[in-house]
Amino acid sequence: MATIRSYKVQKFLERLPQKLSRPVVTSLVACVHCGLCTESCHYVLANPGDVTYAPAYKADQIRKIFKRHIDWTGRVLPGWVGARSVFTDEELEELKDIAFGKCTNCRRCSLKCPMGVDFAVLNRVTRGLLVHVGVMPEGVAVVSKDQWEIGNLMGVLKEDYLETLEWMSEELVEEVGDPAAAIPIDKKDADVVYAINPREVKYDPRTIKDAAKIFYYAGENWTMPSEGWDMTNFGLFSGDDELGGAVARRLFEKVQELRGKKLVISECGRGYRSTRCEGPNWAGMDIPFEMESSVVTMLRYAQQGRIRLDRRKNAISATYHDSCNNARSCGMFEEPRELLRQVVTEFREMYPNRAENFCCTGGGGAMSMSEYAPRRLKSAKVKADQLAATGAQVVVTSCHNCVDGLNDLIRHYGLPMKVTQLVNLVSEALAPAERKTRVHVRHAPVPAFAGHTILVADDEPDTLIFLTAWLEDQGFRALGLTDPLQVLEVVRAERPHLVVLDVHMPCRSGVEVYRTLVREEGEKRPLVVFLTGGGEFELFDRNCHPLPPPEGILEKPVDLNRLGSWLSRVLEDRSKP
Amino acid sequence: MTESALLHFAEHRLQEVALLFMAVVYALRLKWMFSFKFGAERQAPTGKGGKENRRRAVAYSLLNVAMPWAMESTRKNLLFWLQFVVFHLGVAAAITLSFLIPYAPSVVRPRPVVLAFQILTGAAFAVGVLRIARRLSNPYVRAISTPDDLFSLLLLTVWFLFSLLAAPNTPERGEGPLLAFFFLTAFLLVYVPFSKISHYLYYPFGRYFLGRTLGHRGVFPLERTYKPVVP
Repeated sequence: MATIRSYKVQKFLERLPQKLSRPVVTSLVACVHCGLCTESCHYVLANPGDVTYAPAYKADQIRKIFKRHIDWTGRVLPGWVGARSVFTDEELEELKDIAFGKCTNCRRCSLKCPMGVDFAVLNRVTRGLLVHVGVMPEGVAVVSKDQWEIGNLMGVLKEDYLETLEWMSEELVEEVGDPAAAIPIDKKDADVVYAINPREVKYDPRTIKDAAKIFYYAGENWTMPSEGWDMTNFGLFSGDDELGGAVARRLFEKVQELRGKKLVISECGRGYRSTRCEGPNWAGMDIPFEMESSVVTMLRYAQQGRIRLDRRKNAISATYHDSCNNARSCGMFEEPRELLRQVVTEFREMYPNRAENFCCTGGGGAMSMSEYAPRRLKSAKVKADQLAATGAQVVVTSCHNCVDGLNDLIRHYGLPMKVTQLVNLVSEALAPAERKTRVHVRHAPVPAFAGHTILVADDEPDTLIFLTAWLEDQGFRALGLTDPLQVLEVVRAERPHLVVLDVHMPCRSGVEVYRTLVREEGEKRPLVVFLTGGGEFELFDRNCHPLPPPEGILEKPVDLNRLGSWLSRVLEDRSKP
Repeated sequence: MTESALLHFAEHRLQEVALLFMAVVYALRLKWMFSFKFGAERQAPTGKGGKENRRRAVAYSLLNVAMPWAMESTRKNLLFWLQFVVFHLGVAAAITLSFLIPYAPSVVRPRPVVLAFQILTGAAFAVGVLRIARRLSNPYVRAISTPDDLFSLLLLTVWFLFSLLAAPNTPERGEGPLLAFFFLTAFLLVYVPFSKISHYLYYPFGRYFLGRTLGHRGVFPLERTYKPVVP
């Protein structure tokens, strides 16, 4: 047994204590070697009998070192508790093969562990230690270097990026025949700053145009930054927290410089997780603006009637693949499904799904490590079977990494299937005649209204946009719904002070919604004002007893002056003891 | 009922010293664990995340062990989960027995009570034997097993056997089973903090950290029927 350590191993071991947090240490000491995690891993399922793919076995490679050097049980009786040190560069190479080549950090096993051991976090720690001493696949080194040096992980130069935006902008302007559809760059005080994945610039610029088209139709006040635009962060995959912090900080500072109100992250699992979830921690910054996935943005536009979607334009059967980072690590399960149902004629669920879905097998940076491609594609059999079982024509995913991973396995296994993203489908389903122009003139909020929330439910998008925009300009927080069936749910979740209800809505009239609010919420119900386009209506409950009258009734078209003074009065009355 | 001085020592002083030792080592172990930083959480709550959801998520995470349907690994291995339940009920029964025999012998005098303890520890013994066989025969489990893993399992299985034999508490028929049970219990108490058996000390922390993190991000509690509320 070697007794002298190589310089790299020494540095590796010196770095180890710095990577240990309380949750990491708990994951290192808590494993009971029960083996229940084994069958959760797609590598294990595709390579039966090869124990080196088992999650506990992989985690044990760093656990052994931890026990030998940090945990006193392993320092006293190393052999007894399976503690073992490392000495040579060859051993680091073996560790690299496991940490980078046999795990995609998909976190599926972490959710299957009865003890709560977070295997993916342990693997990321191992990767970070190896990267610290320069032991990593070549692809990881190249991508990391590009992100450090050029500012994005594909080494896209600023002029190429801007040229691509200009190209897409021109195409969109030509398509819709409106110069106002041009992509705004570095616009100050925008409501939305949109950050993308460099893959979009290099391989899939259509997604940029599609997103721009959606923003245009929604009447959004948006912009794209000329620099710091890469929301992907290879620090997540390489385990390099310093790189993670630098990339996140670059983007956050750019949004602050532009005085953006919200950072919208294009469809990318790694981008969403590393920017929205991990970024503030790596960068050590408290973020003063909101961040959300473009999936949520698009869904909101659809729910508020800011865009109108026609699912018949995508007459396909589609299934949905949950990106590990979006779903298992960031809780985005239902939003993409909700949106997908609105843009395709047939949605087929894939099994297992959501938190139990299998990785696309291209995650964790696997697509940049060509030396492990045969191993990756072999393990992809699990995903291929899962996809084939749906019989769908298209698999939709909200992650660029998954797009590449899925395309690769679809080609490899000869599946009759295509991969696309929600942004493409939403753009395709847009009803062109319905473009809404939103008034962006912002008046100073009226202090009396600040902090008040108003929910507007109207099936007519024009009225909805008109009213919510006006209410926002008055300082209200305005929520909009075109679907009356969601009113009760939103009232319970958001507790608005006032609900504006259109009397005549399909499926359920405003009167029926009001009846439900009175019945379900009683005295806790918000103030209610009816919007009516004329005609009579009666207010009775199911037993023909008269309902208490709403706080107001307004006729369409709404007289804003009248509405303003009415709101002042009624909210003032309510605030009186 | 008479007992020898050795048995009296094994039932009382030996247990007290062993328990004290275990408590001290556990306290040191926790102090060590808490010496590591926790790390600030700067991200805004995601989706349905937030303070209230974090609390729900932590509770969900901690109670996960009692919800075999919640995790695929237990849902698909219900028999394994049942073995886990039986095994840990056996542990609870044997620990209870180690207190009742010296301090409240009258409680374990009625035949049905003795029988209940024997059924629990006997079933746990059987599970222990099955688990030893699995650890030796399953290539995946064998590959990750340390000497401590195997020894801890053997130790508990033998302990179950002697707790089963000691349950009737009849020293007049021979003190062998009782002496073996109490000396084994004392050894176990001293050994546990250094072995994988101490996992129960880490369990609440491991599940808490996972629940807290994933609750903040809106992942936990996992709800298949969750409907989104878009702000």
